[in-house]
Amino acid sequence: MSETSGYKTLLFEVNDGVGHLILNQPPSNRMSLEFFSELAAFTSNLQVMKDIRALVISGKGRHFSSGADLEELTVFLSPSYEEGEGRDETVKNFMNRNIETFRSLWECRVPVIAAIRGVCLGSASELAMFCHFRFCGDDALFGLPESTFGLMPGIGGVSRMVSLAGPAMALELALKGNTFGATDAIKYCLADRIIPKREVVSFALQFASSLPGNYRKEKSPLYLQRTVSHA
Amino acid sequence: MNLITPHTYEIRDRIAVITLNGPPGNFLKDPEFIPVDALKTLLIKEEVKGVVVTGAGKHFSGGASLEDLFAQANDAALLEEKMNSGKRLLEFIDVLEIPVIAAIKGICFGGGLEISLACDMRFCNSGALFAFPESNHNMMPGLAGSYRLSHRIGFPDSLKMILGGDMVNAEEALLMKLVDRIVHDSDPAEAAICFLTRITEGRSIPVINSILRAIRNAYVLTQEEALMEETRMFCELVAAESRRRQREEL
Repeated sequence: MSETSGYKTLLFEVNDGVGHLILNQPPSNRMSLEFFSELAAFTSNLQVMKDIRALVISGKGRHFSSGADLEELTVFLSPSYEEGEGRDETVKNFMNRNIETFRSLWECRVPVIAAIRGVCLGSASELAMFCHFRFCGDDALFGLPESTFGLMPGIGGVSRMVSLAGPAMALELALKGNTFGATDAIKYCLADRIIPKREVVSFALQFASSLPGNYRKEKSPLYLQRTVSHA
Repeated sequence: MNLITPHTYEIRDRIAVITLNGPPGNFLKDPEFIPVDALKTLLIKEEVKGVVVTGAGKHFSGGASLEDLFAQANDAALLEEKMNSGKRLLEFIDVLEIPVIAAIKGICFGGGLEISLACDMRFCNSGALFAFPESNHNMMPGLAGSYRLSHRIGFPDSLKMILGGDMVNAEEALLMKLVDRIVHDSDPAEAAICFLTRITEGRSIPVINSILRAIRNAYVLTQEEALMEETRMFCELVAAESRRRQREEL
C-alpha cells in the first residue's frame, strides 16, 4: 500500500506491516521549510496509524540528508527580529513545532529505525538521533556543523548527543562541528551497526519486519516505547 | 602570574591555565583554591574561551593535607564556612559555560579529585592515580565528591572508590569513564590546551556558552524544557548572526 499523495518532499509506503518513510528531495534530500511542514503533518498522522509495527526512515538515492538549508532558515528566521514581537512568536512556534516533530519519533509507539547512507549532517543527524535505532552504511558521514556557521544545533541535537554519546563527546562534537564517519559513530554510540552501503535500507527493512508485532500478546509495541523512554 | 593564593594562572591564546601550586603534593590549604570573584573577573576580562586546571610538577593534587584539616577541626563554624566557599568555587567551575579540562599527572586524590570532577573533561597521563582515601581516615569527601563521582561514573564504581577507598589507575579510570583521554606522547596540560584551542577556534563566546548550557540542561531540566531552551538559544544565535551579516553588508 502506497500513500504519496499530498507530500512533495516525502514518500511513504507500508509493506507487510513495516512503514517506510523516504526523504524525497534527491540528491541531497535537504530539509527545506516545506519538508519540515510535511514531516510535521506525517508525524501527527503517525500517532494514529494502526497498521504498522515499525517505521524505517531513509533518504532517496545515495544520501540520507544534508540537513536543513541554513541559508533558507536564516533568511526565514531573521526578518522577524525587525518586525517586532508578533513575528518573533512565529519563529519560536516554527522551531518548537520541529522539536515536537522529532520528539514524536522518539515517543512513537512503534520502533523507529534510521537507515543512513552517505551524508547525514546537521538536522539530519538530529532526526536520526531521535530514532530508536541507527544503521549506517560504511560511507555514512555524520556531524553537527552548526557551530561553524555561528549557530548551534537547533532541534535537540545537543541533548540527544549527550544521551547517546555522553557530555564530553557532545561538547567536542557540537563545538568543533566536525564530520565523522561510520566507525567513529559506532565508537561514540551514535550508530548501532555498520552495513555495506547498498544493503543498509534492505537490512533495516528486514530488521523492522523481524521485530515482533506484539512483544507479548497483551503488551504491544507500547511496551518497547515505555521501556525505551525510561532509559 | 599569581592569584591571591599560591596558585598561578597564565592565559594562552584565550585559554586560561590554572596551576595548583605546592609541589610535589600540591596540597590544598584552602578548599577555595582561587577566590571565585577573582576567577570570574579574570575570565571576563581576558575573554577566556576555555580553562585548563593542572598541577605543578609531577602530580595534580593530593587534596587537603591531614595536618591542615585537623588544625582547623577545632573551629567547626570556620571549617564549615571554608568548605562552603570551596563548594561555591567548584559549583562555579561546574556550571561555567566555557569548557574546563582537568589535566592530571600522577596523584589525584581527595579534594584534588573533587576539583577534577567539577571540570567538563579529564585528561591524564598513563601514570595517573585516582582515589578518595577519606574513608581510610574515617572521613568522607567534603566538596561534593560523592555527588559528582556517582553522576559521572555511576553508583557501583562510586561505592568502590568512596566507601572502599580503592585506588584507580589511568586505564581503569578510562574504562570507568572517570577520565576521557589518556595522553601518552605529551604533557596532559599541553594536550588539553591544544584540544581546547582546536575546538573553540572560530567559535564566538555566545556560541560556546549556548552549547555548554544545552549540555548542562540535558541533565538538570526535563527533556521538554531542555529542548525548548535549545530552541530559544538557537533563535537568539540566528538573530545575532543575521545582524552581524547585515552590518557586514553596510
